[in-house]
Order: sequence, then structure tokens, then C-alpha cells
Amino acid sequence: MESIPRTIFYDRHVALGAKIVEFGGWEMPVQYPSGIVQEHLATRKRAGLFDVSHMGRLIVRGKNKLPFLQHVLSNNAEALDVGESQYTLIPNERGGALDDAYLYRFAEEEYLLVVNAANRQKDWEHLQDHVSKMGGVEMIDRTFETAMLSLQGPLSKDILLALIDGGSLPDPLRNRLGRVTLGGSEVLVARTGYTGEPICFELFVENADALNLWDALVKKGSVPVGLGARDTLRLEAALPLYGHELGEDPENHEIPVFAMPLSRFAVSFSPLKGDFVGRAALEKQFAALKKIFNHDFSAIRDLPRRIMPVALKGKGVARAGYKIFHKNKHAGYITSGTMVPYWHSRGEGIASSLTESHSLRGICLALLDSDIGEGDTLEIEMRGRRIPALVVPYHMRSEAPPYARAIPWNKLRGEKKKPDEEKTVAKARNLLTRAIRNTSWRQKECINLIPSEQTQSSVVRLLSIMDPCGRYAEHKQVTAFNEAEVFYYQATDFIENVEKLLEEELRSYLECPQVETRLISGQMANAAVFSALVDYLNRADRKREQRRIRKVMNNHIIRGGHLSAQPMGALRDFVTRDPKTEKPAVVNFPVLAENPYKIDVDACEALLETHRPELIIFGKSMTLYREPVAEIRAMVDELGLNCTIMYDMAHVLGLIGPHFQRPFAEGADLVTGSTHKTFFGTQRGIVGARFDDGDPAYELWLALRRRAFPGSVSNHHLGTLLGLLMATYELNYFKDEYQENIIRNAKTFAAALASCGLDVAGEPGISFTQTHQVILNVGYAKGPEIADRLEANNIIVNYQAAPQEEGFTASGSLRMGVQEMTRFGMRPAHFEELAGLLAEVIRHGRTVKEEVAAFRKRFATMQYCFSEAEFEGEIQKLHTLLR
Amino acid sequence: MKEISELNFPDDLKYAEDHEWARMENGEATIGICDYAQDQLGDVVFVELPQVGDTFEKGQEFGTVESVKAVSELFTPLSGEVTAVNGNLEDAPELVNNEPYAGGWMIRIKPANAAEMDELMTKDAYLAMLKG
Repeated sequence: MESIPRTIFYDRHVALGAKIVEFGGWEMPVQYPSGIVQEHLATRKRAGLFDVSHMGRLIVRGKNKLPFLQHVLSNNAEALDVGESQYTLIPNERGGALDDAYLYRFAEEEYLLVVNAANRQKDWEHLQDHVSKMGGVEMIDRTFETAMLSLQGPLSKDILLALIDGGSLPDPLRNRLGRVTLGGSEVLVARTGYTGEPICFELFVENADALNLWDALVKKGSVPVGLGARDTLRLEAALPLYGHELGEDPENHEIPVFAMPLSRFAVSFSPLKGDFVGRAALEKQFAALKKIFNHDFSAIRDLPRRIMPVALKGKGVARAGYKIFHKNKHAGYITSGTMVPYWHSRGEGIASSLTESHSLRGICLALLDSDIGEGDTLEIEMRGRRIPALVVPYHMRSEAPPYARAIPWNKLRGEKKKPDEEKTVAKARNLLTRAIRNTSWRQKECINLIPSEQTQSSVVRLLSIMDPCGRYAEHKQVTAFNEAEVFYYQATDFIENVEKLLEEELRSYLECPQVETRLISGQMANAAVFSALVDYLNRADRKREQRRIRKVMNNHIIRGGHLSAQPMGALRDFVTRDPKTEKPAVVNFPVLAENPYKIDVDACEALLETHRPELIIFGKSMTLYREPVAEIRAMVDELGLNCTIMYDMAHVLGLIGPHFQRPFAEGADLVTGSTHKTFFGTQRGIVGARFDDGDPAYELWLALRRRAFPGSVSNHHLGTLLGLLMATYELNYFKDEYQENIIRNAKTFAAALASCGLDVAGEPGISFTQTHQVILNVGYAKGPEIADRLEANNIIVNYQAAPQEEGFTASGSLRMGVQEMTRFGMRPAHFEELAGLLAEVIRHGRTVKEEVAAFRKRFATMQYCFSEAEFEGEIQKLHTLLR
Repeated sequence: MKEISELNFPDDLKYAEDHEWARMENGEATIGICDYAQDQLGDVVFVELPQVGDTFEKGQEFGTVESVKAVSELFTPLSGEVTAVNGNLEDAPELVNNEPYAGGWMIRIKPANAAEMDELMTKDAYLAMLKG
């Protein structure tokens, strides 16, 4: 009789005193002496190391590898580029699953399929059957030649970074892959895992290198974790386990694939898949699921029960197989359940942190009648008693790295603060008092370094609140009147003239023939452009469903790209879904490996040729460089692409000129911008375009006018429009000095911070920055806390995730801009002084609040605006008009 | 899992076959599970105990002790009426692991039959049984 196989790490487990059990046909550690509870908690707070070498690792090769995978797996294998992986299922013809699995594409010529240990033989036979039938496919089982480890938890990235001697870790996005060398051996790395930890890695090595890898990881502080805690961690993350949430239910019926919530990500009906195993049955289930989402239970027979997270409200431990009752009717079963520990947290929002104490909570996954939903109360029958329970949407969340956050059922929506009982007058007075305090503090005591902000001159502010701020002046060009503007309201002569003058000033500033001023934010300006482009692309056929933009090239948000330009932002409803990736059809600007803040211009050529974007969006909110508009324009023209080049200048709109760049001269078709960052204005948005009458693309300009009004606004907010005109006069008059000083101040500030021992992003050779921004690296996830400390010292900056960080909760950078303080008269020498103050706070933890307030007093008078003395009479008059 | 020699069994207690211990003091018996039992169970996450006033015959199930992975029934080594129950185990079930003979005690019984105490094993007898 064959002995039960052991992984290559077996002796390590025994030496550590692990309790060994049989699992899935292998001898595996269920726990180490520390115990399941401590191992679970250690993973959530530090880093857990799991031997998962018992899982099946199958290589798929051959000329028909892709059609084979498309046929036998449920997900869209063609969506995987090299360096990507996906969750998938091995379906059967009946709409159930033989197994769940992960498909990795580390290399061009082969795929790696990882399956559950218990199902490896069964999966192999099933897949081999299809291999023989199809031909042109080779499948190799490398389970016994390779090892697999999982490293999960907030410290796991630091541990790996400390051990890597070559290659690079995957991008900080789930399912991305990378190759590194560690102790001289090659390790394949995937940002995947089974714990719900946002910082997560799975590692693949050849057997020869396995033990060295284990030893190195343990030595650096990883905590060995057994299968017991692996199960409690995945339960807390509501991840399915084959045999519980997939496979057979406690009544021995097959669980339909779409009963399991993650199946919406694991199953694809992309036309690229053609007919695949189980497709018809799965489509039927999916149709029923879509109805159920709409509370339509007419097709419930096709999906009678679904897996849901359930939390115990009473005391007890709910385990797999226990019956559940809803309104006294038997409504399903627990599929997985136990008591799971979680760390208590203190503080709120982004300042929340894990404490040293923990509690246990009874949580489960359950297969319940499909007409049961979130918030429904249930009763779980356990050994004669019935314990109350609640259907919850989740037990924990992973979107705030670096920690996974447990959400107990009674903390689901946070605690709502009861509003104070106050008489209305007292409320109003309180508001006025607080507003006075807030404005005094920011204007007189703070050094304001947030790159998106600015203070407007007093005349600009006063004009913004004059009579037009309550008026309407909608107008439209009417072709029948030779494109004259027709106004829909009365008493609009003044504002009509203001708008004309504003357009003139902006045309001169932007150096283009067309300007649209009716947008009231930068994002709105961008949405109007996207909408106009879709309108323009469909101008020949207005009857059919209007097609969207086929492909967009932009800066990815993790590398500082604008939120507007991402599929999750304004771009969402204007870009098509790529049928191959089943995601919005966006390709990102490539960046230099050694400098993720700089576009790799050379690499753009190939991407432009392959993807042929219809829209290119330049511009970033975390920006140290000019955008390569001229170079890309040249490539686009040479390739003869039918492409619109847009530069969202949001941050840098106030820098247009010889000291930064001139977008239209470099070849941009459209410029959008916020008028309130480096530009002096009120908070609004504008669009400039180079299309004049006679240009074939002039239609695009007319579309933009329409998508501004009536597409984006009815009332275009006349108060701030009036203020903007004055602000544009100011900028046009003072821009040469202002722009030159901004750039000089930013470079000096950056260099000074560096010489104070701080880690400044960018190239020292160019003094770190070409814009108004200076970016400081302060350590992974330390951004928010340091930004708070600086605020407590009256220095206002904002925390930002750097390109290698997962998201804003893990921010390790501070983003600063010199524009506002330059406007208050700060010069390079002053920024050197300021750098010293910052260093005091960041490096030495000193309190410098009083010194900062005193420092600010030296810069109380706004520069680059007409002096108040000049307009004293008019300003007085404006003040009296306010009463 | 520890070796038997690494486990702790106080001399002054009596032990039952299914690994409970009993200590007589002031006419009442305090009952819990011994070091071997807690080591085998792993992390205790929940203990279900009876009410004060409940009565049991020797060998009857009086509650359960649950680990992450399993439920274990508790059988009383003595007949009698429950006079006290350890309320601390509700919020701190790990006391059963950390202090099986002290903070991890489970119930106190007024024994109905004094002779039953002699039917329990001494430490040596229990160890002999464990080593088999």
C-alpha cells in the first residue's frame, strides 16, 4: 500500500512541532504549537507562511493550448496577457463544478493551472480526456517536481523585498505576476491568495530551491501557518472551499456554479470562448441570477439556493451541515462555519489601527433559499437549540491595504453620530463662528502646500458673489441666425459681455481658436469632451445604438493619472468594453522601469501601432514632468492614426508657456483644465480646441459646445464665471514672473528637502521636478499619519499612493505644490527655510506649530494680482453691495 | 501536540477516563478538563455549560467544549447538583487552554454520592491509562 505523500517541507513542519493530519491525500500540518487562533491573528497583523505544495500544478502547452483552456475552463483564458492570472472553474456539463482553480500565465508558450489537492487525480483524468480528444495540447503534472508557498499579510511585501536579489515583484494589483531571484534561485511570484489579505503573494519554485526559500522567509519573520488557520482565514474572507461551497451540498446535491458569489468573476460568456463545457447550463443559471438581483424570483427554480455570509447574533458555534431556518421554514444549510478571531481596532476611517486585543466571533457561509437577502434574520439549529443569525454582505474587507479589516455584524455601517439638539439661530451662529475660524486658520496660520489648491485674490472673490451668482444666462448658438448666440433669459447683457471677454482672454492664454467656459469643474470638462467625441464618432448614423470610443490611451491612476481619465471615473460610460479582456478598452502609457513618474516614450510607438487608440489623454494629478505631447503627436501622424489627442492640464493649466510647455504648439487637439490650481481662478473647468471653421474636425468642436450646454449644465454658475474673468486678467498680466518663480521655487524646495535628508521623488539632475509639484517618499503606508502630523503643525500637504503601492490607504508619499505659497510671495530662500521646518516634523517628530504660524505671517499679502490700493474705491463699493 | 511527559497533572486531583478532573474542597467538587484534553483539542473557542441548579448522573453529558475544528462533549465524573458555573469562559474560552486546573475550571457540583470520588483515578493511574 502506498504511503501518503508528503510535501518537501514535511520535515520543517515536524521540526516546528506541527500537528500533522491527512488532507486531500497528503500529510499536512493543521497547526503549529502556537495554535490556530494565534496563527490566524499573526497573518492579519504580520505575515503568515503556508505550505500549499499539496495543490496540483499542471502545465498546459501546445498549439491548441488556448482553445483547450477556453473549452475546459469557465473563465476567458484569452484575457490573460503574460504576467496575469485569473480565478476559474473546471465545469461539468450539468452546471456544477469539478473543481475551482487558478490559471497563471507566467510565460508566452505555456499556462500553469493550479487545482485543489483532493481533486488532482479527478481533474487530471477529466482534462486528459479532453486533451486526447482535441489534439495539439500537452499537459504535464509538475506537482511532485515543484513546491508552492503562500505568503500573506501586511508585512509580507517587506519580507520579500528584503530577500530579493534580482527581478521585480508584480505590480501592486491582484492577479499580477512577476519573476524574482531570491538567494540565487528563480521564484515565480503571483499577487494571489486565499486569505483575503490585500498584501498577498503565492510563490512557485523548483524542489531544489524550496527549503532555502522556506528558511529565508521564516528567518525574516514569516509565521508558519497550518491548514486550520488557512480555513478560518478563507472563511472570514468568504472564499469558497471545494466540497463545501462548490461540489455537493449537505443533502448530497450538486451545488450550481452560480450559487457561489465569486462565479460572476470565474465564469465568462465571452464570444471568444465559443462553446465550452457546461455553457448552456451556466447561461440558464446566470439568467436566473440576474433576475434574482432585481428581486424577480420567477426563475428561482434554475438557481434555488445561493451561498451567503451569515453572522451569529447569539452565542454558539455554527458548523457545516447545521440546518438553517427562515421564518420557521427550513431554508438551507451552513456550508462552512466556526469561531474565528479578529483584532479589535481603534480610531476611525483612515486613522484606524489594530490593537493588541482580539475577540472571537461565530461566522459562516451558508447555502440559503435565493429569495433570502442581506439583513434577513435566520435561526441556526445546533444540537437542539436555535440560535439567531443574520445574513451579512461580508465578514471583512480588503480594499484598505495594508490590512484586511474585520467587519463584525453589529459594526456594518459604522456608528451614526446623533445630531446635537440646538436651536436654529445657535446653529447658524455656530456655523459662522467656525467658518471665520477656519478661514483665519488657513489664510493666516497655515502653509498651504496641496497641489490642487489656490487662494483667489480679493477682487476675484468679491466679484464671484456679486449679483450674477444668483442669475441665469443660458444661451445656444442657432445656425439659422448665422451661429449667433441666443440667450434664453433677460437682463443678460452684462454677463454676455463677460463671457465674450473671458473667451478672448483664454484664447490668448491657451493659444487656440476655440474656448468653452461653461463647465464648472475639470472633471465636467473631461466628461464633456468624452461625450462630444462619442457624439462626433456617430455623426453619420444617429439611428443605431451610438458606439463608444474603441480604445483610449491614458496614464494609469497608480502612476498618477487623473481619476477622470480612468474607467472608474468620467471615462466609464464613453469607452467600449474590450471583448478580449472583458474590461474597458484602455491601454496605459508605459513608464520607465527606473522612474515610474516618467513616460517611456520609445515604448509608446509599438503600443500605438498595436492598439491604434481613438483618444489619447495626457495629464496627471501626481506629476513631475512635462507630457511628451510633441513626440506622441509625431508618432500618431506617422502611423496615420485617426486619433484625438487631449491634454487634461488640470494641475498645470497655470503653467502654459515657455517655462513649462505649450500644448497646442506641440500638437494637442484639445486641452481641458481646472481653473483653480496653478491657474488663479474660481473653481471651474474649461476646454480649449484647435479646430477652426474649415477644419474637418470642427464638427467635434460644435459637439463639445452642445455637450457643455445642454449636455453638462443648464445654469453655468455665473458668479464664478465673473470671478474667473478677473482671474484671467491677472494671470495673463503676471504670468511670466509667476510661472518662472513657481518652477524655480519647486526645484529649490525639492533640492532643499533632499539636502535635509528626506527622500524626494524624481531625478536629482533636474532638481527633481519640472512642474509645481514636489513628491516626498515617507515610507509604505506612513503617508496619512505624517500628513496628519504636519497638519497639526499647520503645514497642509496631501498623502498619495506612489506607483508601487496598492491604494490610497497604503500611501507612502506626500504630494506638495508650491503654487499657492508662491502667490503669497514666497521665494526660493523661503522654501529652503520651509524645507527645514518640514524635516523637523518628519524626521525628528518635533512640534513647530508656532514657528509655522510666525513664518506664515511674513507672507500675508498676495502677489501677482492688482494691488488692493489700486482698486480701493471699487472694493469698498463691492463690500457695501453685500449687505 | 505535546508529549505526555511535557503535560501537567497535579497530584491532588482525581481523573476520569474521558479526561475530566475533579477537586474536592469544602464539600463541593470543582470539575474541568485536564492538560491532555486541552492539548488534544487545540484552541478552545466556545464552552457550553449548564445552569446552576441542574442535576446530573455520573457519566451524563453536562456541556460541550468546542475548538476551531471540533465539538467535544463533557461528561460529569460525579453525580450531583450544579452549584456554580465559570462565567469567565464566555469571554475568555482560552482559559481552558492556558489554565486548565485554575482559571479554566468549568462547574462546581454538590456530590450526591461521596463514594463516586473513590471510583476516579489517581494521577498515576490516569498516566498509566494514557500511556496505554
